[in-house]
Amino acid sequence: MNLALFIPELTLAVFALLVILLDLFTEQKRLLVQVSVSGLVISAGVTLAMWGESFPAIFNNMLAVDNFALFFKLLLLGVAFLVILASISYTQKFARFQGEYYALVLLSTLGMMLMAATTDLIAIYIALELTSLSLYALVGFLKDSKSTESSLKYLLLGAIASVVLLYGMALIFGFTGQTQLGEIARVIQAMSPQTILSFPALTLGLVMLITGFGFKIAAVPFQMWVPDVYEGAPTPITAYLSVASKAAGFALILRVFFSAFGLPEWLSLNWGIIFAFLAVIGMTLGNIAAIPQTNIKRMLGYSSIAQAGYLLVGMAAMGFSPVVDILGRSSIIFFLTSYALTNMGAFIAIIAISNKLDSDLIDDYTGIGKRAPLVALALTLCLVSLIGMPPAAGFMAKFYIFSAAVRSNLLWLVIIAVINSVISAYYYLRVVNVMWLGKAASEEKISSPGTLRLGLVLSCLGVLLLGIIPGFAMLLAEFAARIFVF
Amino acid sequence: MLNNLGLEHYLVLSAILFAIGLYGTLAKRNAIIILMCIELMLNAVNITLVAFSRYVTPELLTGQIFAIFVIIVAAAEIAMGVAIILAIYRGIESIDATKINLMKW
Amino acid sequence: MGLAIGFWISASVIIAAALGVVLLRNIFRAALSLILCFLMVAGIYITLSADFLAAVQILVYVGAISVLIILAIMMTREVQRGNLSNKLQLPAFIVALLFLGVLVLTVTNTPWPITDTAPVVPTTTTIASRLFGEGGFILPVEIAAALLLSAILGAIVLAREK
Repeated sequence: MNLALFIPELTLAVFALLVILLDLFTEQKRLLVQVSVSGLVISAGVTLAMWGESFPAIFNNMLAVDNFALFFKLLLLGVAFLVILASISYTQKFARFQGEYYALVLLSTLGMMLMAATTDLIAIYIALELTSLSLYALVGFLKDSKSTESSLKYLLLGAIASVVLLYGMALIFGFTGQTQLGEIARVIQAMSPQTILSFPALTLGLVMLITGFGFKIAAVPFQMWVPDVYEGAPTPITAYLSVASKAAGFALILRVFFSAFGLPEWLSLNWGIIFAFLAVIGMTLGNIAAIPQTNIKRMLGYSSIAQAGYLLVGMAAMGFSPVVDILGRSSIIFFLTSYALTNMGAFIAIIAISNKLDSDLIDDYTGIGKRAPLVALALTLCLVSLIGMPPAAGFMAKFYIFSAAVRSNLLWLVIIAVINSVISAYYYLRVVNVMWLGKAASEEKISSPGTLRLGLVLSCLGVLLLGIIPGFAMLLAEFAARIFVF
Repeated sequence: MLNNLGLEHYLVLSAILFAIGLYGTLAKRNAIIILMCIELMLNAVNITLVAFSRYVTPELLTGQIFAIFVIIVAAAEIAMGVAIILAIYRGIESIDATKINLMKW
Repeated sequence: MGLAIGFWISASVIIAAALGVVLLRNIFRAALSLILCFLMVAGIYITLSADFLAAVQILVYVGAISVLIILAIMMTREVQRGNLSNKLQLPAFIVALLFLGVLVLTVTNTPWPITDTAPVVPTTTTIASRLFGEGGFILPVEIAAALLLSAILGAIVLAREK
């Protein structure tokens, strides 16, 4: 086994330990940020060096080192970098626990990177729990009653979801006698279709897997934790949850459903229908519930439920035509990338504004356009991208996903999704309207720290770049999705 | 029936235990009781895994390995759960989950 | 025959104790009932000839997790309030019953790929070589190390004063 292929993960673990140790000896908390960032950079550098080549899976075939995993590792490391940039000015709210904070961010990134790469049910479960446990703690970091309560809520509901997921895994393990995804696929494909249909264990196992994964990606009806947790958590962690947790969850779903249950076709049709149904209720409920919200973090929470719905349209497209459809898979990857940049941008802008206002209420954003024009402009760009209007990345992302769905004969689903996009424009544009046309309570300018500005510029550049010249990113996404070809 | 102990017996026992735990998690107000019910469900899954290990992969013991990892996770989860409960109790003097609005969406 | 007797005794105590967790009015008694349930699950493992796992079950569940739960009950003085239910009792009961029905139907109607091979006894060497040996589950072991670290960090931060 080539341990060199494990360096990206090892680096993160080592740097997490380093951060904790340094925290004991230094008063210079700035140093912790530098150490964490250098861990991310080294890990990303090694990952980048591996890109493009094809390596065999390591750890007895449990950890894939394919381009799909590498792509998601880079995406997750990038998001973690932006989260740390966004945290620097925020961590003064829990100054005593900065070392633990950065260490837990690194450890949860490690868990997510593993989620995108593991190919064995046992390793998947443990990686998922590593991510979840770190996030439960990070949500409670503010230590006020709202934050702690949302942490408890996240933990209890998350634990229930993961038990259900585990039961599903146990049924699938019992049914096939295997825990490796590739072996499971081999056993299932060796059975005749008529026999499998008469055994409910596989179907029930799949439904339970979807329940557990659906919780991670905040798909309706497993979304009840989202609004409260998004509101209660420290804002950088909210951004992290809405972006990285979702990306890792989708990477896991793509890998599990495609490499273990992608064939035979009638099986993928079964889960395709489930995903289509979840997409419809996710988009509709998320968008409708977002309309009356007054807290912008809560609103973006519902918006992220709706975005998960759009992503599930891509999953449904994949389920309906698993053999021919490469567009479905690469469009999901493209959408996740664009959504990651967009939502990170939006949340960094919110941190910049809320730091000064000390409020997350949309009404308090009145007239921000005059007080902090550049931040407001960036937030506007991100909201436009979330609606899915050109020239932002969200437009191309939705375009790709919807065309994949149309190709898989899911026109009805696309129509529902487009109607939903129109509804969503209402609540996104309301924020834009308040920011630019409202009359500000005070004329005082809002200045933001350099790290936030850097994060904001990076994500907005990404949003524009993906929106104007999407070809290159789409090429990368197709390259990453190519491992899922039979 | 009493003598022919088979895989199904264990699976049904596990299903019953899981259902009791599920009822408790949905119907109880106290966060500690909910945590206890989650442990019941985890034990139910472990019984399933070990039973599969005995009857499906008796030589590889894959199910038992899986169960060991489940126990690790259960211990970590309960430690964190108790920590959060203590933190909340310091704040609001009650861990009544309905006051925390657990089911509000 | 001995196995069957052991199974039926353990199974009935498990179900009774689990019901005790949900139904007993006193939280402390509910916790004791949970411990009894954990202990009997170890008995079930013995009937499945999983000796190592039975020992782990007693050490971790009966030894450690129970202590944590009782500690939480003592620290929060929740005993006086009792084991209350919320308004969702009836829907929760229906959901659990439906779930039970589906599960029982599923597990009894699926022809599991059962083999007649005799179980490995004792299991310790096999488990060790499967966990740490060539071609084994060393990756989950390593991830578990990171998981325990993050759980410790998280618990420390959350439980400490601000």
